Amino acid sequence: MEPVKLTAKDYKTSVPIVWCPGCGDFGVLNAMQQAAAELAVPPENLMVVSGIGCSSRIAGYVNAFGFNTIHGRALPIASGAKLARPEMTVWAAGGDGDGYSIGTNHFVHTIRRNADITYIVMDNHIYGLTKGQVSPTTPHGDYTKSTPMGNPDRPLNPLALALELGATFIAQGFSGNVKHLRDLIVKGTQHKGFSFINVKSPCVTFRGRQEFNVVREHGVYLDESHDPTDWNQAHEVTQWKEKIPLGVIYQIHGVPTLDQIADDLRHKAQEKQQFKSSKDLLEIFR
Amino acid sequence: MRDVTLAIAGSGGDGVITAGDFIVQAAARKGLNAFMLKSYGPQIRGGESSARIRISDQPIYSQGDFVDFLVVFSWKDFVRFIDEIQLRKGAVVLYDEADTTPPEEFPIDKDLGVELIAVPFKKMASEEIKVPLTKNMVALGVIAELLHLPLDGIKDAVMKKFGKRKPEAAQVNIEAIDLGKKWVDDNLPDGTQIVLEAEGTGEPKLVMTGDDAVAYGALHAGVKVFAGYPITPASPILEFLSKWLPHFGGAVVQTEDEIAAITYAIGASWAGKQAMTASSGPGIALKLEALGLAAIAEIPLVVVNVQRVGPSTGIPSKSEQADLFQAVGGTPGDVPRVVLAPSDVEDNFQVAVEAFYLAEKYQIPVIILSDQFLGERSETIDPEILFARKRVIARQLAKPSDLKDYKRYKLTDTGVSPMTVPGMKGGQYITSGLEHHEDGRPTSSGTLHQIMSEKRERKMPLIAEESGFVRIYGDEDAELAVLAWGSSKGAVREAIEKAREEGIKVKAIVPQLIYPIPEKKLDAALKGVKRAVVIELSFGAQFYRYLRAYYDGLPKETYSYARSGANPLLVSEVLEAIKQHAGGMDAPQEA
Repeated sequence: MEPVKLTAKDYKTSVPIVWCPGCGDFGVLNAMQQAAAELAVPPENLMVVSGIGCSSRIAGYVNAFGFNTIHGRALPIASGAKLARPEMTVWAAGGDGDGYSIGTNHFVHTIRRNADITYIVMDNHIYGLTKGQVSPTTPHGDYTKSTPMGNPDRPLNPLALALELGATFIAQGFSGNVKHLRDLIVKGTQHKGFSFINVKSPCVTFRGRQEFNVVREHGVYLDESHDPTDWNQAHEVTQWKEKIPLGVIYQIHGVPTLDQIADDLRHKAQEKQQFKSSKDLLEIFR
Repeated sequence: MRDVTLAIAGSGGDGVITAGDFIVQAAARKGLNAFMLKSYGPQIRGGESSARIRISDQPIYSQGDFVDFLVVFSWKDFVRFIDEIQLRKGAVVLYDEADTTPPEEFPIDKDLGVELIAVPFKKMASEEIKVPLTKNMVALGVIAELLHLPLDGIKDAVMKKFGKRKPEAAQVNIEAIDLGKKWVDDNLPDGTQIVLEAEGTGEPKLVMTGDDAVAYGALHAGVKVFAGYPITPASPILEFLSKWLPHFGGAVVQTEDEIAAITYAIGASWAGKQAMTASSGPGIALKLEALGLAAIAEIPLVVVNVQRVGPSTGIPSKSEQADLFQAVGGTPGDVPRVVLAPSDVEDNFQVAVEAFYLAEKYQIPVIILSDQFLGERSETIDPEILFARKRVIARQLAKPSDLKDYKRYKLTDTGVSPMTVPGMKGGQYITSGLEHHEDGRPTSSGTLHQIMSEKRERKMPLIAEESGFVRIYGDEDAELAVLAWGSSKGAVREAIEKAREEGIKVKAIVPQLIYPIPEKKLDAALKGVKRAVVIELSFGAQFYRYLRAYYDGLPKETYSYARSGANPLLVSEVLEAIKQHAGGMDAPQEA
């Protein structure tokens, strides 16, 4: 029997969408649904894990095993799921507050373990769900509800951080360009290892519609002149001040993933000593 | 004596715990019962440590209140354990003659009339064996010869530890043991007044710690993903599973923090594999938000808390029973969960199996409340007993008929809804920490929240009915009862026996299921009881207050005996509490 061709529609759900009209996250959702269709991953083999925040509602909007978890913990839950079921496609998603503030520790260590999941961060530079407080990527000096005198802190650079930490796939997309973002998600999913996609996904309510224009004006799509396997080039791109890089910034292959390492350990252990059943382990207590 | 308690105190480098381990293993090989409690200071190396070992041909329930036989490498180190090591009248005390403390300054009560013997442990190890580190092995030889411990069993244990990997080390250790024995033959031909007169059954027993037992129980129950973060006194669980789980097709992750540990486990379980995490009080505090997630998303999960002295960092290496409120009440919201309390090493294994059974059957987080006193002690165990109960089940999956218009949180009479795992076509659903409709869609409806709260709560009486194991010891028809939980069981059980020998009619009631309260079984156990004493190692009397708040069946006259932890519960203090409340009832009957 010919497999039925899957389309983006197959990944829609009936869960009502809570986002504001014009929210950048709609573009990300479309890109995810299109990417799933492109990858032809059956909905029952797709797991979408998110944290807390406006963007984290996305786990309910993709027809898959969706898990809208708790604040900052999308990555360890997604990693645990992938470790348990390496044959599944696992996506993690969330916002900049979720990933770069309360969840930073997990961001660091998921990169270190190279868990084979794709992490899509909808970076809008603001806490939207709690209605407009400063976030770790809010530019210095910006006025928000919790920085009435302007943001005193310098913003975090997630791309540079990921690169320093040894991430094996780093990309940046824009929710205003769904097709480009879809391709990034497809590439990220096909990457064996942790694929990190930071998405400029404007919050129209608390940062205004002009945020889209900022990305349109300053966004630079990386072309063939950029070699994503060249760490130094990637580093330079992550340090751009005015220009916003869009595309695959860095990608290396061959780094063992979390589930591969677990599998290797199982093989090594079982080569060393085989047990028929857990009862046989009793011998070690004699 | 048929029941001897010996203690060895020294510095970390003295090999005190190693010597204790060998003694326990030797006893196990002979079919004797043994029990070892390790105690140590905060230093990683070189700090003081003590091993307290009780050996008997009778069942052993506690560490033994009084020490019959003491070995001191250094009086300075011994002083640190002076609270924990109470000598019996006429005890034998061996000390290293290398310690220059004058005998009149020995920190020992003169009225006890102990038999003091100076032994050149250090000298023999340094000058004759020429390996100063073998001091503990020389001492082992001395102890074994004086106490009549099975010397061949000790040598077997040494060979097992070093024989294959370090045959030279094994040889040197055995020479040291023989030297210690010879020293006794040459210098103390008449021995001492304390001798173990117990014959083992000859049937070898197993030696296990509580932490290993809970980890092994989990492995037997089918755990496939374990995630943990190092913390005293729970780290041995992480270490055990790191070593053995890969042999059984599982995976272990030492995560970046406590929250990652529990969330890894939640992710793995949601994906379809049995999962567990373990920690101690402070780490559990960090995990509690995620525990609520497992509860509302109805994800099977097992969480072990090896309690230690709190609050905060407290005394990490000592035991307490003061995380009860945290276990039954921690986490925001109304959180259905199960709390099980193992009461000895073997029970750690059984409770781990039971925890997975309940977690999988009822799709609920289960907390195992062990403690340092259980986790880090070693006990001898009969091999047959471990697998007697058949409670191992796999993930209970939704039937094909459930997948048509699938509702993950379908309202049912039992509160348990059909659960799918990834890969089941038509089984995909959205789940979350949000309150939800039957199909998992989020809601902010108060009506639905009430309905879903009721649905989740419906599991609880079924769990209480099915898993409400309550231990009862002593006189069935006693009007006086002691209520205890977890590791207090040992001292309580022994105290009950002592009280009965003294003519007091009394029974002990120890529930294994703490939350939900197994009401029917507790009611039955308390039938006819007019007075109860709740005994625990929690300064705030958490168990007493918990029973008061959650259980209607307590006798009107219910008293509390509660003190803070760190020092293990003594048989004598429980006996005292029993005697204090025994007045005016159940006078001994004339035969």
